[in-house]
Amino acid sequence: MGYVHRVKSEAFEPTIEDLALTLAEVDADGALRETAAEAFGETRSAFLRRSVAAAVGIGGLLGAADAEAAGVATTKNDIAMLRFDLVLEYLQAGFYTEAERLGALTPKTLGWARVVGAHERAHVVAIKRLLGRKTVPSPTFNYGSVTSSERAFVRTAVGFEDLTAALLKWQAPRLDSRSVVAAAVTLHSVETRHAAWIRHLIGLRPAADAFDKPASQQRMAQLIASTHFIAARPRLASRNRPRWTG
Amino acid sequence: MRRRAVPAALIVAAGFSAGAITVQEIRADGAADERAPTGARPLSQAVSGLPLPLRPAFTVGRPRLLDAKEARARFAPALEAVEARARPRFDAATVARLTRETEEGTTNVVLVLGEVRGPRGTWVHVRLPVLPNGRTGWVPRSALGGYRFVHTRLLVDRARFTVTLLRDGRPLLRARVGVGRPAWPTPAGNFYIRDKVSGFDDPFYGPVAFGTSARSAVLTDWPGGGFVGIHGTNEPQLIPGRISHGCIRLRNDDILRLARLMPVGTPVTIR
Repeated sequence: MGYVHRVKSEAFEPTIEDLALTLAEVDADGALRETAAEAFGETRSAFLRRSVAAAVGIGGLLGAADAEAAGVATTKNDIAMLRFDLVLEYLQAGFYTEAERLGALTPKTLGWARVVGAHERAHVVAIKRLLGRKTVPSPTFNYGSVTSSERAFVRTAVGFEDLTAALLKWQAPRLDSRSVVAAAVTLHSVETRHAAWIRHLIGLRPAADAFDKPASQQRMAQLIASTHFIAARPRLASRNRPRWTG
Repeated sequence: MRRRAVPAALIVAAGFSAGAITVQEIRADGAADERAPTGARPLSQAVSGLPLPLRPAFTVGRPRLLDAKEARARFAPALEAVEARARPRFDAATVARLTRETEEGTTNVVLVLGEVRGPRGTWVHVRLPVLPNGRTGWVPRSALGGYRFVHTRLLVDRARFTVTLLRDGRPLLRARVGVGRPAWPTPAGNFYIRDKVSGFDDPFYGPVAFGTSARSAVLTDWPGGGFVGIHGTNEPQLIPGRISHGCIRLRNDDILRLARLMPVGTPVTIR
């Protein structure tokens, strides 16, 4: 109940900076950062820098063969942005899917997550199809206990949806292909609806301001890193000779 | 004054002409306006300079909700060595120590049975790869990595010498197996797949092998701790039968098929 009172307060209308702090706050039980270096042999920040850089995929290997085959003249610049969007969609799709599967949310929030999760998974499919061979595989995620905590879940969901809309706003005027812009705005409006919907569910004003500010891709990379949701991939296979009972 | 009247008339005429084009554009979906002044430009000429509508680079397909009836299990990697407790509390008795890596050098994973949230964080109830078989314990959520979900389940029938892989409850693969001899029986119970090993040079285990959380209750001093594997063989003629030290042996064709279908983390029931 205390939580409901808090979010209904007029004073609680998060800005981009507030949301950045919110995402940083929900670092599971606060221990992931400490264990990362030991677990993976490198610092988590170093790992995340590497992950985000790989996700953004700015490099000479980028091309546009698949997009061109689909009749879209896509530049390296556009592909880099689409790859970034894809990682963000993976992140959100995984988040909502896990929350739904764990089933720890209230029915109202779970119903929202069920619909939004389906949307985000559809976004993943659409962007992957456009990127074709230039796609990026999904990183491994660790949402900690955020997906099984109503409070942490909704705070993170508000952050994700607001920030995704802010990112698409930033990208739109920077995309080279008008066809990609046309596609991106179809995502943008859906993300803003998600944001308004979850805000309404938890008692926040669905439309907080008269104007929405964009958030840069670099800023988004920082925010994604601040969540510590991108994790090292566990090693599940080996080439070592087994020593089982035979 | 007359000089000024001419331009004014032209302006009025131009206004009529533009108005006619506008009317025709508005009615482009139907018939052209019969009352439009004669001499107005046809619609095709009027819009020829406008850009064509854009085709979006991609369209988003129909969203698909998760199947509420999907059969699934979840597992998680150990991020650190940790004491598994009898209850979800730091002061509860230790039931086992969970290492970060397996004997094969893979990340140690545990099957997740449930979780509880308390004032001091979230605790996860896990199945442990320790003796006695079937032991479970509680570890802090922070000691584990992200959850992964599998939709498969493996059933081993020691009496019928069969293994059946199910996906979402439906049989996907069935094969004959060899199991432990009476002196070294394959343990019964609920376990899970811990890792997958291939590319090693030992025909005894065949081309692919899976490590399980099951352990021989008899061969406790076996190198590596007496874990039970599911693997191929260089003696396929012995299958089916009670032929092994506790491991579950499949013909190489069958283990290769299983390797394509069964992910790490799959729950295993041996009966």
